Amino acid sequence: MRHDEIDGILSREDEILPSSGFAASVMDAVRREAAEPAPIPFPWKRALPGLVVAGLAVVLVLVAGVMAVVQLGRASTTAQSSTFLPPVMPSIFHGGTESAAIWTAVALLVTLASVKLSMRLGSGRV
Amino acid sequence: MSASDDQSDVERVLAGDISAFEGIVRRWQGPLINLAYRFCRDRGRAEEMAQEAFLRAYRGLGQWRKDAVFSTWLFALATNLYRSELRRIPARTVPLDDIAEPHDTRPSDGGFEDQERDLAVRRAVGALPAKYREALILFYFHDMDVTAAALSLGLPEGTVKARLFRGREILRGKLPQLLAVPRLKEA
Repeated sequence: MRHDEIDGILSREDEILPSSGFAASVMDAVRREAAEPAPIPFPWKRALPGLVVAGLAVVLVLVAGVMAVVQLGRASTTAQSSTFLPPVMPSIFHGGTESAAIWTAVALLVTLASVKLSMRLGSGRV
Repeated sequence: MSASDDQSDVERVLAGDISAFEGIVRRWQGPLINLAYRFCRDRGRAEEMAQEAFLRAYRGLGQWRKDAVFSTWLFALATNLYRSELRRIPARTVPLDDIAEPHDTRPSDGGFEDQERDLAVRRAVGALPAKYREALILFYFHDMDVTAAALSLGLPEGTVKARLFRGREILRGKLPQLLAVPRLKEA
């Protein structure tokens, strides 16, 4: 098979004609589209205070998490964490620094995901 | 088809005169339906896809930057849509290895054997992997203009050339008998 033969065959494609009502059908769809009210934009001004508060909360959680991890790290150097930590502390902190860091990261990811989901719901893309 | 007609119709639509969009539809309905048909090989579906392409063009008219010709923008938009549609619901194709060879490969005077051969080649194009198929479809749709095909696909010309070459190589490998037959009218 030569390239020019392929060119010859694929170049002489039969043209199909649009059906008689095609243009009218498209224009009907366009007019319907134009008649629909414009989508409501996301109310950024109203949402801004909430977003700022949520952002601050995330930062606070992050700082608190980092501080807890640092304190746990210091404590583990002086004594075993299982005996040092009070019994009311969540069991995740008894697993050591690495475990606490993982759980903190998971919590942050969940927070980020929930914020993203809220924004998507707010913009109507879901 | 005049580029200035497109530009004036677009400006009228953007100014609020929706009826001006009909001029765009009437000028480009044939090319857009034919391009869709080459992707899906189904006349009804081709019209549905072309209608959706026009609707998207209407919604996005404000995004057309006038540094490119309107038709270039329209074909790129339509190609993008058709590719997405075909990924979502693939066209019915025969696997490349199952493309039927013509029953009688003796030289002919054209006619039915030619049609059968052409049909087999087109089926083979439809069975190619998407990236080669799309390059071939756009290349032949644009009268073998690599630049226009590359613009419609949103790919560099070199990539399109490489895909065209590879696509033809696959066709040559899969359908050797079809086009190797000497033709009386070429003799």
